[in-house]
Amino acid sequence: MGCAAVKLILEQVRETRGDWQFSADATFLPGIHLVTGRVGSGKSTLAEIAAGMLSPGSGRVLREGISSGTLSLQYPEYHVTGATLAKEAASYGVSPEEALENAGLSGRGEDDPFILSRGELKRFHLSCLSLRRWDLLVLDEPFSALDCRGKKRECERIPALSPGIVLVCTHEQQHLPRTDFLWEMRDGNLHALGKVPDALPFWQTAPKTVRTLVSQGCVPANLTDRDLEEALCRMRD
Amino acid sequence: MQDARLRLLSVLLLSVASFISVAGAALTVLWLLLYPGYLVAALRSRALYLLLSVLGLVALVMTYSGGDGISYLARMGVLLLLGFTIVRGWSPGEFLDLSVWLFGGKTGFDLGLAIEMTMQGFDEASREWSRVKTALQLKDMQPGFRSIPAIGFLLIHTRLLRARDQSDLLITRGYHEGGSCCPVFRRSKKDIIASFCTILILCIALFPFRDIFILVM
Repeated sequence: MGCAAVKLILEQVRETRGDWQFSADATFLPGIHLVTGRVGSGKSTLAEIAAGMLSPGSGRVLREGISSGTLSLQYPEYHVTGATLAKEAASYGVSPEEALENAGLSGRGEDDPFILSRGELKRFHLSCLSLRRWDLLVLDEPFSALDCRGKKRECERIPALSPGIVLVCTHEQQHLPRTDFLWEMRDGNLHALGKVPDALPFWQTAPKTVRTLVSQGCVPANLTDRDLEEALCRMRD
Repeated sequence: MQDARLRLLSVLLLSVASFISVAGAALTVLWLLLYPGYLVAALRSRALYLLLSVLGLVALVMTYSGGDGISYLARMGVLLLLGFTIVRGWSPGEFLDLSVWLFGGKTGFDLGLAIEMTMQGFDEASREWSRVKTALQLKDMQPGFRSIPAIGFLLIHTRLLRARDQSDLLITRGYHEGGSCCPVFRRSKKDIIASFCTILILCIALFPFRDIFILVM
Protein backbone atom coordinates (compact mmCIF):
# COMPACT_ATOMS: atom_id res chain seq x y z
CA MET A 1 0.00 0.00 0.00
CA GLY A 2 1.44 3.39 -0.96
CA CYS A 3 1.96 6.11 1.59
CA ALA A 4 -0.68 8.29 -0.07
CA ALA A 5 -3.30 5.91 1.35
CA VAL A 6 -1.93 6.22 4.87
CA LYS A 7 -4.15 8.07 7.31
CA LEU A 8 -4.28 8.53 11.09
CA ILE A 9 -7.66 9.58 12.44
CA LEU A 10 -8.34 10.65 16.00
CA GLU A 11 -12.11 10.57 16.36
CA GLN A 12 -13.34 12.55 19.38
CA VAL A 13 -10.46 11.29 21.47
CA ARG A 14 -10.64 12.27 25.14
CA GLU A 15 -8.34 11.49 28.04
CA THR A 16 -8.67 12.71 31.61
CA ARG A 17 -5.98 12.90 34.29
CA GLY A 18 -7.37 14.39 37.47
CA ASP A 19 -8.59 17.89 36.61
CA TRP A 20 -6.66 17.97 33.36
CA GLN A 21 -8.41 16.99 30.14
CA PHE A 22 -7.06 16.14 26.72
CA SER A 23 -9.16 16.25 23.58
CA ALA A 24 -8.36 15.74 19.92
CA ASP A 25 -10.44 15.40 16.80
CA ALA A 26 -8.09 15.26 13.86
CA THR A 27 -6.98 13.56 10.68
CA PHE A 28 -3.29 13.27 9.87
CA LEU A 29 -2.33 12.74 6.23
CA PRO A 30 1.14 11.90 4.89
CA GLY A 31 3.57 14.76 5.47
CA ILE A 32 5.30 16.51 8.32
CA HIS A 33 2.95 17.66 11.06
CA LEU A 34 4.41 20.09 13.56
CA VAL A 35 2.52 19.92 16.86
CA THR A 36 3.48 22.83 19.07
CA GLY A 37 2.29 24.09 22.43
CA ARG A 38 3.43 25.07 25.86
CA VAL A 39 5.00 22.63 28.32
CA GLY A 40 2.23 20.52 29.85
CA SER A 41 -0.27 21.35 27.10
CA GLY A 42 -0.67 17.68 26.09
CA LYS A 43 1.85 17.12 23.29
CA SER A 44 3.30 13.97 24.84
CA THR A 45 -0.19 12.59 25.52
CA LEU A 46 -1.05 13.16 21.87
CA ALA A 47 2.20 11.46 20.84
CA GLU A 48 1.46 8.40 22.99
CA ILE A 49 -2.12 8.12 21.76
CA ALA A 50 -1.11 8.60 18.12
CA ALA A 51 1.56 5.90 18.42
CA GLY A 52 -0.86 3.49 20.11
CA MET A 53 1.06 3.42 23.37
CA LEU A 54 -1.84 4.90 25.31
CA SER A 55 -5.50 3.98 24.93
CA PRO A 56 -7.65 7.09 25.29
CA GLY A 57 -10.45 7.23 27.84
CA SER A 58 -12.96 7.68 25.04
CA GLY A 59 -13.04 8.11 21.27
CA ARG A 60 -11.41 6.11 18.50
CA VAL A 61 -7.97 6.04 16.90
CA LEU A 62 -8.06 4.72 13.36
CA ARG A 63 -4.85 3.80 11.56
CA GLU A 64 -5.70 3.41 7.89
CA GLY A 65 -3.01 1.68 5.88
CA ILE A 66 -0.42 2.05 8.63
CA SER A 67 1.58 -1.15 8.86
CA SER A 68 4.67 0.21 10.61
CA GLY A 69 4.84 2.93 13.20
CA THR A 70 6.89 3.97 16.17
CA LEU A 71 7.27 6.59 18.85
CA SER A 72 10.47 8.35 19.77
CA LEU A 73 10.24 9.22 23.46
CA GLN A 74 11.64 12.47 24.80
CA TYR A 75 14.36 10.79 26.87
CA PRO A 76 16.55 8.52 24.71
CA GLU A 77 17.61 6.33 27.65
CA TYR A 78 14.02 5.06 27.88
CA HIS A 79 14.60 3.25 24.59
CA VAL A 80 17.71 1.38 25.64
CA THR A 81 17.32 -2.39 25.77
CA GLY A 82 20.78 -3.51 24.65
CA ALA A 83 23.97 -3.75 26.69
CA THR A 84 26.14 -2.32 23.90
CA LEU A 85 25.57 0.23 21.14
CA ALA A 86 25.84 -2.52 18.51
CA LYS A 87 23.19 -4.64 20.28
CA GLU A 88 21.07 -1.53 20.75
CA ALA A 89 21.19 -0.77 17.00
CA ALA A 90 20.38 -4.42 16.24
CA SER A 91 17.32 -4.19 18.53
CA TYR A 92 15.92 -1.60 16.09
CA GLY A 93 16.58 -4.00 13.23
CA VAL A 94 19.19 -1.75 11.63
CA SER A 95 22.86 -2.13 10.74
CA PRO A 96 25.00 -1.16 13.77
CA GLU A 97 27.81 0.22 11.59
CA GLU A 98 25.47 2.49 9.66
CA ALA A 99 23.64 3.68 12.78
CA LEU A 100 26.91 4.44 14.55
CA GLU A 101 28.35 6.23 11.53
CA ASN A 102 25.25 8.41 11.09
CA ALA A 103 25.43 9.37 14.75
CA GLY A 104 29.15 10.21 14.56
CA LEU A 105 30.01 7.27 16.83
CA SER A 106 31.91 5.01 14.43
CA GLY A 107 33.95 2.28 16.10
CA ARG A 108 32.09 2.50 19.40
CA GLY A 109 29.82 -0.49 18.90
CA GLU A 110 31.03 -2.24 22.06
CA ASP A 111 30.46 0.82 24.26
CA ASP A 112 27.80 0.80 26.95
CA PRO A 113 24.90 3.07 25.81
CA PHE A 114 24.82 4.65 29.26
CA ILE A 115 28.32 6.06 29.04
CA LEU A 116 27.14 8.34 26.22
CA SER A 117 25.85 11.79 27.08
CA ARG A 118 22.11 12.21 26.69
CA GLY A 119 22.73 14.28 23.53
CA GLU A 120 24.89 11.55 21.99
CA LEU A 121 22.35 8.89 22.92
CA LYS A 122 19.56 10.97 21.38
CA ARG A 123 21.59 11.34 18.18
CA PHE A 124 22.20 7.59 18.12
CA HIS A 125 18.53 6.77 18.77
CA LEU A 126 17.35 9.11 15.98
CA SER A 127 19.99 7.62 13.71
CA CYS A 128 18.59 4.12 14.36
CA LEU A 129 15.05 5.32 13.60
CA SER A 130 16.18 7.03 10.41
CA LEU A 131 17.46 3.74 8.97
CA ARG A 132 14.00 2.21 8.81
CA ARG A 133 10.95 3.20 6.84
CA TRP A 134 7.87 4.02 8.87
CA ASP A 135 4.30 4.67 7.79
CA LEU A 136 3.82 6.58 11.02
CA LEU A 137 6.66 8.17 12.92
CA VAL A 138 5.87 10.09 16.09
CA LEU A 139 8.71 12.17 17.48
CA ASP A 140 8.17 13.53 20.98
CA GLU A 141 10.57 16.42 21.59
CA PRO A 142 13.13 15.21 19.03
CA PHE A 143 15.38 18.21 19.69
CA SER A 144 15.66 17.83 23.47
CA ALA A 145 19.23 17.29 24.73
CA LEU A 146 20.68 18.30 21.34
CA ASP A 147 22.94 21.29 20.80
CA CYS A 148 22.29 23.85 18.04
CA ARG A 149 24.29 21.84 15.51
CA GLY A 150 22.41 18.67 16.41
CA LYS A 151 19.05 20.43 16.16
CA LYS A 152 19.92 21.82 12.72
CA ARG A 153 21.01 18.37 11.54
CA GLU A 154 17.82 16.74 12.78
CA CYS A 155 15.71 19.47 11.15
CA GLU A 156 17.38 18.63 7.85
CA ARG A 157 16.99 14.89 8.42
CA ILE A 158 13.30 14.85 9.47
CA PRO A 159 11.86 15.45 5.95
CA ALA A 160 13.80 12.41 4.73
CA LEU A 161 12.80 10.16 7.62
CA SER A 162 9.55 8.84 6.30
CA PRO A 163 7.34 9.18 3.24
CA GLY A 164 4.35 8.58 5.55
CA ILE A 165 3.01 10.56 8.46
CA VAL A 166 5.57 12.28 10.67
CA LEU A 167 4.34 13.93 13.84
CA VAL A 168 6.88 16.27 15.41
CA CYS A 169 5.67 17.23 18.89
CA THR A 170 7.89 19.96 20.26
CA HIS A 171 8.12 23.24 22.12
CA GLU A 172 11.33 24.08 20.28
CA GLN A 173 11.35 27.73 19.19
CA GLN A 174 14.68 28.18 17.46
CA HIS A 175 15.23 25.41 14.92
CA LEU A 176 12.26 23.81 13.16
CA PRO A 177 11.98 21.39 10.23
CA ARG A 178 10.23 21.99 6.94
CA THR A 179 6.60 21.57 7.90
CA ASP A 180 3.53 20.66 5.88
CA PHE A 181 0.80 20.98 8.52
CA LEU A 182 0.75 23.03 11.69
CA TRP A 183 -1.09 22.03 14.87
CA GLU A 184 -1.22 23.61 18.28
CA MET A 185 -2.05 22.13 21.68
CA ARG A 186 -3.89 24.69 23.80
CA ASP A 187 -4.68 23.62 27.37
CA GLY A 188 -5.13 20.00 26.38
CA ASN A 189 -7.08 20.68 23.16
CA LEU A 190 -5.60 19.98 19.77
CA HIS A 191 -6.18 22.76 17.23
CA ALA A 192 -5.60 22.33 13.50
CA LEU A 193 -4.06 25.55 12.18
CA GLY A 194 -3.76 24.36 8.59
CA LYS A 195 -1.06 24.13 5.96
CA VAL A 196 2.16 26.12 6.24
CA PRO A 197 2.53 29.02 5.45
CA ASP A 198 -1.22 29.85 5.50
CA ALA A 199 -1.45 28.65 9.11
CA LEU A 200 1.29 30.91 10.48
CA PRO A 201 -0.90 33.95 11.35
CA PHE A 202 -3.07 31.72 13.61
CA TRP A 203 -0.12 30.28 15.55
CA GLN A 204 -0.42 31.52 19.16
CA THR A 205 2.86 30.07 20.45
CA ALA A 206 4.86 30.96 17.35
CA PRO A 207 8.56 31.80 17.80
CA LYS A 208 9.23 35.52 18.13
CA THR A 209 10.89 35.71 14.70
CA VAL A 210 7.85 34.17 13.01
CA ARG A 211 5.49 36.49 14.89
CA THR A 212 7.53 39.54 13.89
CA LEU A 213 7.71 38.45 10.27
CA VAL A 214 3.97 37.75 10.08
CA SER A 215 3.10 41.06 11.75
CA GLN A 216 5.29 42.87 9.20
CA GLY A 217 3.54 41.10 6.33
CA CYS A 218 6.60 39.05 5.38
CA VAL A 219 5.18 35.56 5.89
CA PRO A 220 7.97 32.98 5.50
CA ALA A 221 7.45 30.18 2.99
CA ASN A 222 8.14 27.64 5.72
CA LEU A 223 9.83 27.30 9.11
CA THR A 224 13.37 26.24 8.28
CA ASP A 225 16.25 28.57 9.13
CA ARG A 226 16.67 29.30 5.42
CA ASP A 227 12.99 30.23 5.00
CA LEU A 228 13.14 32.58 7.97
CA GLU A 229 16.36 34.19 6.73
CA GLU A 230 14.82 34.69 3.31
CA ALA A 231 11.72 36.34 4.87
CA LEU A 232 13.92 38.55 7.06
CA CYS A 233 15.81 39.69 3.96
CA ARG A 234 12.50 40.54 2.30
CA MET A 235 11.47 42.55 5.36
CA ARG A 236 14.72 44.55 5.29
CA ASP A 237 14.28 45.27 1.58
CA MET B 1 -3.98 5.54 58.36
CA GLN B 2 -2.26 8.91 58.57
CA ASP B 3 -0.01 8.52 61.62
CA ALA B 4 3.08 6.50 60.67
CA ARG B 5 3.71 5.54 64.30
CA LEU B 6 0.25 4.01 64.68
CA ARG B 7 0.65 2.34 61.32
CA LEU B 8 3.92 0.73 62.39
CA LEU B 9 2.41 -0.41 65.68
CA SER B 10 -0.62 -1.83 63.87
CA VAL B 11 1.55 -3.71 61.37
CA LEU B 12 3.65 -5.22 64.16
CA LEU B 13 0.65 -6.34 66.21
CA LEU B 14 -1.30 -7.65 63.22
CA SER B 15 1.76 -9.49 61.90
CA VAL B 16 2.17 -11.29 65.21
CA ALA B 17 -1.59 -12.02 65.37
CA SER B 18 -1.61 -13.41 61.80
CA PHE B 19 1.52 -15.43 62.37
CA ILE B 20 0.40 -17.18 65.55
CA SER B 21 -3.18 -18.15 64.69
CA VAL B 22 -5.66 -18.56 61.87
CA ALA B 23 -8.21 -16.59 63.93
CA GLY B 24 -5.70 -13.71 64.10
CA ALA B 25 -5.21 -13.93 60.34
CA ALA B 26 -8.98 -13.89 59.72
CA LEU B 27 -9.44 -10.86 61.97
CA THR B 28 -6.53 -9.13 60.24
CA VAL B 29 -8.36 -9.50 56.92
CA LEU B 30 -11.43 -7.92 58.51
CA TRP B 31 -9.23 -5.10 59.86
CA LEU B 32 -7.85 -4.47 56.37
CA LEU B 33 -11.41 -3.80 55.19
CA LEU B 34 -11.21 -0.55 57.19
CA TYR B 35 -8.92 0.72 54.41
CA PRO B 36 -10.61 -0.59 51.26
CA GLY B 37 -8.73 1.70 48.87
CA TYR B 38 -5.32 0.33 49.85
CA LEU B 39 -6.66 -3.23 50.01
CA VAL B 40 -8.06 -3.05 46.47
CA ALA B 41 -4.75 -1.58 45.22
CA ALA B 42 -2.87 -4.42 46.93
CA LEU B 43 -5.16 -7.02 45.40
CA ARG B 44 -4.39 -5.62 41.96
CA SER B 45 -0.67 -6.28 42.40
CA ARG B 46 0.70 -9.11 40.26
CA ALA B 47 3.65 -9.51 42.64
CA LEU B 48 1.23 -10.44 45.43
CA TYR B 49 -0.17 -13.35 43.42
CA LEU B 50 3.31 -14.44 42.39
CA LEU B 51 4.41 -14.63 46.02
CA LEU B 52 1.13 -16.28 47.01
CA SER B 53 1.71 -19.00 44.43
CA VAL B 54 5.18 -19.64 45.92
CA LEU B 55 3.55 -19.86 49.35
CA GLY B 56 0.99 -22.26 47.89
CA LEU B 57 3.78 -24.56 46.71
CA VAL B 58 5.42 -24.51 50.14
CA ALA B 59 2.03 -25.23 51.76
CA LEU B 60 1.50 -28.15 49.38
CA VAL B 61 4.86 -29.65 50.29
CA MET B 62 4.03 -29.16 53.99
CA THR B 63 0.67 -30.89 53.63
CA TYR B 64 2.23 -33.87 51.86
CA SER B 65 4.91 -34.15 54.53
CA GLY B 66 2.32 -34.26 57.31
CA GLY B 67 2.26 -30.59 58.35
CA ASP B 68 -0.67 -28.15 58.43
CA GLY B 69 -0.15 -26.58 55.03
CA ILE B 70 -3.57 -24.92 54.89
CA SER B 71 -3.04 -23.07 58.17
CA TYR B 72 0.43 -22.02 56.99
CA LEU B 73 -0.93 -20.75 53.66
CA ALA B 74 -3.73 -18.81 55.38
CA ARG B 75 -1.45 -17.17 57.96
CA MET B 76 1.42 -16.36 55.62
CA GLY B 77 -0.94 -15.25 52.85
CA VAL B 78 -2.58 -12.74 55.18
CA LEU B 79 0.86 -11.55 56.29
CA LEU B 80 1.73 -10.89 52.66
CA LEU B 81 -1.57 -9.14 52.03
CA LEU B 82 -1.02 -7.00 55.14
CA GLY B 83 2.42 -5.95 53.91
CA PHE B 84 1.18 -5.17 50.39
CA THR B 85 -1.78 -3.17 51.78
CA ILE B 86 0.07 -1.19 54.42
CA VAL B 87 2.95 -0.24 52.12
CA ARG B 88 0.42 1.55 49.90
CA GLY B 89 -0.37 3.92 52.74
CA TRP B 90 3.21 5.17 53.04
CA SER B 91 4.10 8.52 51.54
CA PRO B 92 7.62 9.93 50.86
CA GLY B 93 9.32 11.28 54.00
CA GLU B 94 7.36 9.18 56.48
CA PHE B 95 10.15 6.67 57.09
CA LEU B 96 12.52 9.53 57.84
CA ASP B 97 10.02 11.08 60.27
CA LEU B 98 9.40 7.77 61.95
CA SER B 99 13.05 6.84 62.19
CA VAL B 100 14.06 10.24 63.63
CA TRP B 101 11.20 10.01 66.13
CA LEU B 102 12.34 6.52 67.18
CA PHE B 103 16.13 6.83 67.16
CA GLY B 104 16.95 10.55 67.14
CA GLY B 105 18.66 12.94 64.75
CA LYS B 106 21.87 10.96 64.24
CA THR B 107 21.27 7.21 63.91
CA GLY B 108 17.58 7.79 63.20
CA PHE B 109 18.28 10.28 60.44
CA ASP B 110 20.82 8.01 58.73
CA LEU B 111 18.54 4.99 59.02
CA GLY B 112 15.50 6.96 57.81
CA LEU B 113 17.46 8.36 54.87
CA ALA B 114 18.63 4.88 53.88
CA ILE B 115 15.07 3.52 54.06
CA GLU B 116 13.70 6.48 52.10
CA MET B 117 16.31 5.99 49.37
CA THR B 118 15.58 2.26 49.23
CA MET B 119 11.84 2.88 48.90
CA GLN B 120 12.52 5.49 46.22
CA GLY B 121 14.70 2.90 44.48
CA PHE B 122 11.82 0.38 44.47
CA ASP B 123 9.52 3.02 42.95
CA GLU B 124 12.06 3.93 40.31
CA ALA B 125 12.80 0.30 39.49
CA SER B 126 9.08 -0.23 38.94
CA ARG B 127 8.91 2.80 36.63
CA GLU B 128 12.06 1.67 34.81
CA TRP B 129 10.52 -1.76 34.28
CA SER B 130 7.47 -0.20 32.65
CA ARG B 131 9.77 1.96 30.47
CA VAL B 132 11.68 -1.14 29.39
CA LYS B 133 8.38 -2.82 28.51
CA THR B 134 7.41 0.26 26.45
CA ALA B 135 10.80 0.22 24.70
CA LEU B 136 10.44 -3.50 23.90
CA GLN B 137 6.91 -2.92 22.64
CA LEU B 138 8.13 -0.10 20.37
CA LYS B 139 10.77 -2.43 18.97
CA ASP B 140 8.25 -5.27 18.49
CA MET B 141 10.16 -7.36 21.03
CA GLN B 142 8.61 -9.57 23.69
CA PRO B 143 10.11 -9.84 27.18
CA GLY B 144 11.12 -13.50 27.44
CA PHE B 145 13.69 -15.72 29.12
CA ARG B 146 16.37 -14.67 26.64
CA SER B 147 15.88 -10.99 27.40
CA ILE B 148 16.04 -11.44 31.20
CA PRO B 149 19.86 -11.05 31.48
CA ALA B 150 19.91 -7.91 29.29
CA ILE B 151 16.93 -6.31 31.06
CA GLY B 152 18.28 -7.28 34.50
CA PHE B 153 21.64 -5.80 33.59
CA LEU B 154 19.97 -2.58 32.43
CA LEU B 155 17.88 -2.25 35.58
CA ILE B 156 20.87 -2.86 37.86
CA HIS B 157 23.04 -0.55 35.81
CA THR B 158 20.55 2.33 35.93
CA ARG B 159 20.10 1.80 39.68
CA LEU B 160 23.87 1.96 40.20
CA LEU B 161 24.12 5.11 38.12
CA ARG B 162 21.29 6.67 40.11
CA ALA B 163 22.92 5.64 43.39
CA ARG B 164 26.18 7.26 42.29
CA ASP B 165 24.36 10.49 41.41
CA GLN B 166 22.55 10.46 44.75
CA SER B 167 25.76 9.94 46.72
CA ASP B 168 27.45 12.74 44.76
CA LEU B 169 24.50 14.98 45.54
CA LEU B 170 24.65 14.17 49.26
CA ILE B 171 28.39 14.92 49.35
CA THR B 172 27.88 18.17 47.41
CA ARG B 173 25.28 19.22 49.95
CA GLY B 174 27.74 18.56 52.76
CA TYR B 175 26.17 15.42 54.18
CA HIS B 176 28.43 13.50 56.53
CA GLU B 177 26.22 11.86 59.13
CA GLY B 178 22.96 12.65 60.90
CA GLY B 179 20.83 15.67 60.19
CA SER B 180 17.97 17.78 61.42
CA CYS B 181 14.40 16.75 60.83
CA CYS B 182 11.30 17.72 62.77
CA PRO B 183 8.88 14.81 62.43
CA VAL B 184 5.24 15.79 62.03
CA PHE B 185 2.47 13.22 62.44
CA ARG B 186 -1.22 13.64 61.71
CA ARG B 187 -3.79 11.52 63.45
CA SER B 188 -7.50 10.91 63.02
CA LYS B 189 -10.08 9.28 65.31
CA LYS B 190 -10.35 6.43 62.82
CA ASP B 191 -6.60 5.77 63.18
CA ILE B 192 -6.85 5.55 66.96
CA ILE B 193 -9.85 3.22 66.83
CA ALA B 194 -8.17 1.05 64.17
CA SER B 195 -4.99 0.84 66.27
CA PHE B 196 -7.00 -0.12 69.34
CA CYS B 197 -8.64 -2.87 67.27
CA THR B 198 -5.20 -4.31 66.47
CA ILE B 199 -4.54 -4.74 70.20
CA LEU B 200 -7.85 -6.58 70.54
CA ILE B 201 -7.02 -8.76 67.52
CA LEU B 202 -3.67 -9.69 69.04
CA CYS B 203 -5.34 -10.53 72.38
CA ILE B 204 -7.88 -12.75 70.62
CA ALA B 205 -5.09 -14.42 68.63
CA LEU B 206 -3.11 -15.07 71.81
CA PHE B 207 -6.09 -16.29 73.82
CA PRO B 208 -6.27 -20.10 73.81
CA PHE B 209 -10.02 -20.44 72.98
CA ARG B 210 -9.62 -24.04 71.90
CA ASP B 211 -8.21 -25.00 75.32
CA ILE B 212 -11.26 -23.46 77.02
CA PHE B 213 -13.64 -25.41 74.80
CA ILE B 214 -11.70 -28.60 75.51
CA LEU B 215 -11.94 -27.89 79.26
CA VAL B 216 -15.70 -27.14 79.00
CA MET B 217 -16.32 -30.37 77.12
